[in-house]
Amino acid sequence: MNQPNVPPLVSAVDPRAARAARLEAARAELRTATERGEGGRVALKQYSQRMDALLQQLFVEASVAAQPVGVFALGGFGRRQLCLHSDIDLLILFAGPLWPEDERFLAAFLNPLWDVGLTIGHHVREVTEGAGLDADNPEFQLALTDARAIAGDATLLDAFFAASSGAVAATRTFEALKTLIADRHARFNDTFYQLEPDVKEAPGGLRDLFGAMTIAKLTDPALFTRPGGDPRSLDDAEEFLLRVRSVLHLETKRHHDVLSHELQEVVADRLRYQGDTPRQRVERLMSEYFRHARAVDRGLRWTLRTAPLPIGPNLVRSAEGIRFVDVREAAGRPETWLALFQAAIDQGCGVSDEALACVQQNAGRFTAEEFFPTAASRDGLLRFLKPHAGLYARLSEMHDSGLLGQMFPEFKAISCRVVRDFYHKYTVDEHTLLTIRNLERLMDAAPERQRFARLLGEIDAPELLVLALLYHDIGKSKDDDHHVESARVARLMFGRLHLDRDASETIDFLVTHHLDMSVAAFRRDTEDPEIVRQFAEMVGVEERLKMLCLMTLADVEAVSRETLTPWKEELLWRLYVDTYNYLTLSYSDQVIDRNQAAIAAVVEGREPDLTAKEVEEFLQGLPRRYLQLFSREAVSRHVRLSRGLGRDVLHAWIEKTDAAWELTVITRDKPFLFSNISGVLSSYGMDILRGYAFTKPDGLVVDTFHFTDEERFLELNPEDGEALVIRRLEEVIAGRVDIASRLKGREEGALRQRLPGFSPVVHCDNDSSRRYTIVEIVAENRLGLLYRVSRAMSESGCDVDLVLIATEGRRAIDVFHLTRGGKKLTPAQQQEVTANLHRVLEGRS
Amino acid sequence: MKLIKAIVRPNKVDEVKDALERLQISGMTVTEVRGHGKQKGHTAIYRGQEYNVSLLPKMEIEVVIPDSVVDDAVKAITQAARTGEIGDGRIFVLPVGESYKIRTGEREM
Repeated sequence: MNQPNVPPLVSAVDPRAARAARLEAARAELRTATERGEGGRVALKQYSQRMDALLQQLFVEASVAAQPVGVFALGGFGRRQLCLHSDIDLLILFAGPLWPEDERFLAAFLNPLWDVGLTIGHHVREVTEGAGLDADNPEFQLALTDARAIAGDATLLDAFFAASSGAVAATRTFEALKTLIADRHARFNDTFYQLEPDVKEAPGGLRDLFGAMTIAKLTDPALFTRPGGDPRSLDDAEEFLLRVRSVLHLETKRHHDVLSHELQEVVADRLRYQGDTPRQRVERLMSEYFRHARAVDRGLRWTLRTAPLPIGPNLVRSAEGIRFVDVREAAGRPETWLALFQAAIDQGCGVSDEALACVQQNAGRFTAEEFFPTAASRDGLLRFLKPHAGLYARLSEMHDSGLLGQMFPEFKAISCRVVRDFYHKYTVDEHTLLTIRNLERLMDAAPERQRFARLLGEIDAPELLVLALLYHDIGKSKDDDHHVESARVARLMFGRLHLDRDASETIDFLVTHHLDMSVAAFRRDTEDPEIVRQFAEMVGVEERLKMLCLMTLADVEAVSRETLTPWKEELLWRLYVDTYNYLTLSYSDQVIDRNQAAIAAVVEGREPDLTAKEVEEFLQGLPRRYLQLFSREAVSRHVRLSRGLGRDVLHAWIEKTDAAWELTVITRDKPFLFSNISGVLSSYGMDILRGYAFTKPDGLVVDTFHFTDEERFLELNPEDGEALVIRRLEEVIAGRVDIASRLKGREEGALRQRLPGFSPVVHCDNDSSRRYTIVEIVAENRLGLLYRVSRAMSESGCDVDLVLIATEGRRAIDVFHLTRGGKKLTPAQQQEVTANLHRVLEGRS
Repeated sequence: MKLIKAIVRPNKVDEVKDALERLQISGMTVTEVRGHGKQKGHTAIYRGQEYNVSLLPKMEIEVVIPDSVVDDAVKAITQAARTGEIGDGRIFVLPVGESYKIRTGEREM
């Protein structure tokens, strides 16, 4: 680039004068071009570059800031179309919070610009403020689309954008732009036929032109080359409008963009329009203006009509489906591909052929790990695998394009695999994907399938079920027992996806046992209680039962259209119900005894400070279910805390789980203990989702409550919130605080919000357990429900020994194992408890 | 020639089939059916609520056999399908007037 003629001596003597001279030289250069009628793109780009150099010099002279900083040009300056009297729009980005040295840097950098008479529009931000970009003003969002690095650390801009939600930012920018255009057009009565047009703001002016270009940049860089686009007309219009604007700035010596009657003559002369009279020259100028304005207006309307909708970073929704904005960039970033398919699910459409072709061409270049390099990307995969309408279709697209086999290399082994068993009708890969479609279809199930659909809604992590289905038949690539091979292969995936132990064990269980429920349901006599008992003990807990039941349903249905008959569905459902009842009602009779293999494993794996004897003594008398619910580490902790536990000693702690909290209490049983614990949690507005209460024959209690902190008490009190809850628990259990009075106001509010038409169910059962009367309650889940019902039981003289708490949507499903005076309840006592519970559930007390 | 219709527990089909095959009876029709006899279904409870399971899943096995093996066939089915509990099923023996092979039109007596 040629430098304008700057007197060197002045520069050496007075930096301020040198800067002024340098700026004046750049302006003179632009003035000269404009006087010749050539103040268009080339001249403006040259002036912008002179300004870049000035800013770069100032950046160096302003000394070093305390941290990385970058200077970026915005708006027209960012597009290198700086006019003679345009504002200099800058974004100054710092890596972190500003220090005094940074303030000094800013002053040293900006003050000289003001000194030389420039109008500066500057935004000073930290990169983390990119996260708040969505809430920022729309003009700023738009200006950012043209951001261009001038000096300092250019990578800060990427970090700034990375801090924002790209999807939201792109969509908001697009929406903001549409609103700004509509508002601006309204100011001009929505017509570009203005006798004295503002060449920047009026319809058909520069802002419309840049608006169309911005939309293309956000949605489809090749938009104007697609059928119907007219890029040459827009190029011509841009050159014309910039030349006119340059003359307006030159003649008015200020930032003035209105082509008034007086200025029309001057502009016509500068741009050398022919005519014998000024009027003729003006008419030719304005005729040309309206021709270009019309082209811009048409171009903008076409762009708004045709442009795909931005829906995520580098993603748009077009008529052909979801596609990448920049295919070349996407081709090298496999970690972004899942978002393509997730967006298709979210938007209820397909993936475009263009995007699928990109995936197909490039999938083979990457290893499985490269698709999910971060915890966020792995979480994204699990979110994607939750059953939703469209999941099967998207997985099929991923499979057909070779992506599924790259993400899950083990899946390649069953691609188009044929197993001749005169039973399956489809290849193994398609059968596998159809199982997932069957699960997905339960989201919108027919009435006769609603019972299974409800199970799907009750599962905590249905994505694990989908993962298990994806792997359940991979072992069919070999001829041996395929479930064993499938489980072996599935384990290869656990580490790659960094699945936690619970998730891994769940998938392992489902894949290993995916045939067992159909064998039991269809080929065993499920009316035999022993068959149900064996099956229930294999399954262990309700969550796994529900998953296995749905897996069986989906698997059998995917064999062929005729395989899953209503008859088989009924058999499957009956086995589910019998097993569910066994797990929830009869588990109390299955007590850990000294000779059980499971106890030996726990004793063997105990922590060094525990003796075998104390572990054995702790476990004896607890239901076997206890061992299925708690890890060895948790058991060790329980054993340790139960050592020499006095009557009034209470050990309690709260831990954060994924999306909720967990309170564990170890103490000695006493009247109203369970209702008091429930009441304390409710008094903080906490919603108890599930939990277990175990009482040993010697009175030792181990209770666990899984709850959400609806009023964010723990979150807002990170220092002492947990301690405050536990302190109140101790006070309530010691009888120093009356929890009933604390809950009164909350309970009244909760009772006023009853769901219409929801009748609570209370069912007493004296048959399912040898030792306990079982009370099942299904009721609307409301604050304090558990407190109220357990209190009613205690008030009826019952001991609450074992409790299973579950919440499914807005329904609470609680199962209590009760005794009164150490015995099961008599029919009269059952009636009394039932009446009390109904009174409480219906808000009559 | 007799038609034997046996209503048996679903898990007993394979054992009945094996027993009939030991008598050289191989052609049969097996159908999933639902119904009840004296058993009249029962009441099940799921989440505290009762629901009536009146029509129980069963399997119906149909075989057409010569009169000479009817007694053996009934005995074999009974032994194979019996558990001794209510709901083991029923066996019906019906006379067959005529029988035709669809492929050839051949009439069998």
